[in-house]
Amino acid sequence: MFERLDTVKPALKKLIAVLCERYDYASVLATAERYRSWRVSKNGINLSASGLDGGDGYVIRVFDRTGCAEYSINAFSEDMIPAIVREMQERFEAERAALPEGITPMPTAMPDDSPAVLKKEAKYEIDPMELGDEAILDLIRRIREKGLKAENVMDIMCGVNYSAERKIFLSPHRDLDESHMWTNAFVGAIGARGEEIKESYKGYSVLGGAELLKTVESDIGEITKRLNDLLGSEPMIPGEYECVCNPEVTGMIVHEAFGHGVEMDMFVKDRAQAKQFIGDYVASPLVTMHDGSTVDECATWAFDDEGTLTGDTVIIDRGVLKTGMCDALSAMRLGVKPTGNGRRESYERKAYTRMTNTYFEGGDATKEEMIASIKYGFLLEEPTSGMEDPKNWGIQCMVNSAREIRDGKLTGRIFSPIVLTGYVPDLLKSVSMMGGKVELAGGGYCGKGYKEWVKVSDGGAYMKARIRLG
Amino acid sequence: MERIKRLLKEAGISDYIVYGYSERTAELFFVKKQLDTRRIKDVEKFNVTVYRTGEKDGKKLRASTDVTVLAEMTDAELLDAFKGAYFAAQFAMNPYYELPDPVTAPLREATGKLAEQAPELSAGEMAKALFAADCEEGAFLNSAEVFVIQKRAHVVSSRGADVSWVEAEVKGEYVVQAKEPEDVEMYRDFAYTELNTDALTAQAKEALMFVRDRARAQKILKSGNYDVILTDENVMMTLWFYGDRSAAHMIYPGYSSWKVGDDVQGETRGERITLTLRALAPYSKEGIPMRDLRLLENGVMCATHGSNRFCRYLGVEPTGDYRKYSCDNPGTMSFAEMKKRPCLWAVTFSGFEMDAFSGHFGGEIRLAYLIENGRMTPVTGGSINGSILEAQKDLVFSTDRYAEIGYDGPYAMLLKNIPVAGTDAEES
Repeated sequence: MFERLDTVKPALKKLIAVLCERYDYASVLATAERYRSWRVSKNGINLSASGLDGGDGYVIRVFDRTGCAEYSINAFSEDMIPAIVREMQERFEAERAALPEGITPMPTAMPDDSPAVLKKEAKYEIDPMELGDEAILDLIRRIREKGLKAENVMDIMCGVNYSAERKIFLSPHRDLDESHMWTNAFVGAIGARGEEIKESYKGYSVLGGAELLKTVESDIGEITKRLNDLLGSEPMIPGEYECVCNPEVTGMIVHEAFGHGVEMDMFVKDRAQAKQFIGDYVASPLVTMHDGSTVDECATWAFDDEGTLTGDTVIIDRGVLKTGMCDALSAMRLGVKPTGNGRRESYERKAYTRMTNTYFEGGDATKEEMIASIKYGFLLEEPTSGMEDPKNWGIQCMVNSAREIRDGKLTGRIFSPIVLTGYVPDLLKSVSMMGGKVELAGGGYCGKGYKEWVKVSDGGAYMKARIRLG
Repeated sequence: MERIKRLLKEAGISDYIVYGYSERTAELFFVKKQLDTRRIKDVEKFNVTVYRTGEKDGKKLRASTDVTVLAEMTDAELLDAFKGAYFAAQFAMNPYYELPDPVTAPLREATGKLAEQAPELSAGEMAKALFAADCEEGAFLNSAEVFVIQKRAHVVSSRGADVSWVEAEVKGEYVVQAKEPEDVEMYRDFAYTELNTDALTAQAKEALMFVRDRARAQKILKSGNYDVILTDENVMMTLWFYGDRSAAHMIYPGYSSWKVGDDVQGETRGERITLTLRALAPYSKEGIPMRDLRLLENGVMCATHGSNRFCRYLGVEPTGDYRKYSCDNPGTMSFAEMKKRPCLWAVTFSGFEMDAFSGHFGGEIRLAYLIENGRMTPVTGGSINGSILEAQKDLVFSTDRYAEIGYDGPYAMLLKNIPVAGTDAEES
């Protein structure tokens, strides 16, 4: 896949050798991507091969006396090496010279460049490009037509997108090469209640190809039913309630409420409260949290965008905060080992500490047992968005629906939209039951603040906790 | 660009639009008063949309696929990409529409320091402006990022369009922190099309003041309905509801029922809204000349806006996609007057949301001022969950103004009787 990278690889090695004559360290991350999305809705049929920003390009990293400096380009050949080296030298010096008075370089050790060689191919059953545009569009058109027959449905939006990528990381002692494929799908049903538009959706994801699509068609009835439930929903009465989170909502809590708080570049900036809680109980003993590449989902890579090999990081072990996750630069500044979480939106962007596949381990309770245990509370479903707050461990997550539970039974009443708020450790310490079946969802992208979108997955099992709803 | 045009012809593609651009950036990343990383970027890309026509049941159809290609690709690779996109397009037929009318014009240069001087120098000047504010007692800059982007864009089409222009932008974000009595932080971002160092220093000074107040903010907000003041970027995000609902891509599929001439604000007791869409670049990515466009006049919708395809479907002149608007209400109350009445001034949220579908707006409150009996008490926690469809019936705009890259208009907006979940909710 992406033979162009094989062609330029010898020249990239030469570039590193030339740079190492001038700098204490040099590396290159080369990326290539093939992307496609298919969409049907009332807006018509849309087919795009452009992808998000980024795509094919190179990021060159060097260390000089001022610290880490990077150059992103998307054209490279051996004869360009002298010009690239000159450009880096002149413009990095211009940036340094223009710095405000009183700004000093951040002390940073050289990156670990112990020898590593890796070659890994993408795993998939059906390449979406081989299945073909016609077959994929036929499938999503069929789902849409089926959904449009349901009551009160204004539109069905249905889409599939996939990305095949190859990344090569080269440094004086590392030669890492991996290709990767993920496929996502979604079905959204839209209906109106006066001027207010409601939407119910379901997302699908796989580390792989079009084999994902086998499961998509059967859920359309459930999605349109949920839309009709939402159209009859009531505004939430603010309060703290016993809640059952479905695996998607659990995943959002894992990711937004806790995961961002243990990204260790935030430790370097003193922006994460978690730094003071390493070794402490931050959650119920039912909670064990992981991040890493030992599960197969959209964010499973064998190395990160700084050339660090990935693995499984246990963040919380039976309620005790063990560690955070860390990119290479932050690890050098903190004096810890990087965990393979240095990720970029693309070769055009800086690497930050980012989550990969983040989830809570399962327990032994069932959804039915959780609902039966609640006198008054809610079953939370369909997460829509969330925002991190590492400094204060505040929660802001939105979900589409809260189904009322009274005396251990769902009453049929539904409330929407719902804002989850509160203090993260309070919520996690209140976890009193954990379901057995862990499900991960990798349909979304994660931002750092309001930008830097990377593919992630998150998940867990059904989970019972006390949560403040508004 | 000439090579792309030649190869499109060779691929047998007669209808296309090519949006090509190059970006040169300088980027600085700081942690407190230390330099974390510095970056530069030089990229060039071509977004090529290929079109084909078809026919079904006697009706003419139009399909398109877009693909991004790079200058370093060989002729064979480019041909392969164009042919692949053209082949795929046959499966994505939609009702027919014409491509944008062709416009040709000489290169539109950008003027000013930001466009003309080396981006590394501009990044340094903006960093100096930011750190110039970092001299307050009790609060400081925790971290910052500065991006200077110089962009050259070029659009050509098979219909003969050929326009090019230069843009420059400086943007970034920073976090301010206060440690006493509570250790708290606040996030701010900024974006300007000029080297607006004074505006950045002033914004950072205000942010430092807010974070000091957040450090002493109390969790005493009670649940209930409040008159709420929103300010600066939260006003911008809330009013963009009208931009979303009047967009051709929302109206064509029926997600919005609005049409020109509708009184979209309905019966009101407060101010009637007047909005104008503002052109930030001379042309859209489809080569459509961008002009300022009155969107709402006293609550009545004046125009539909959007990309070529959906405007064509609705039978209106394509306007291109806008990234900026102004709220032209001069306001009826000074911000100082607004703060004299009992209300909740919600300054920052952990993530403010405005849902164009549902009309709901709000988020978790990071800092608000509870104003009672002329006293302003900083509060934190709780959340706002309002509906613009209700709130628009009784709005008040401030006479004080605010401007940034995407907005020019009143600094503050007073919305009446908005549901607020207080920090007492956990006790209920």
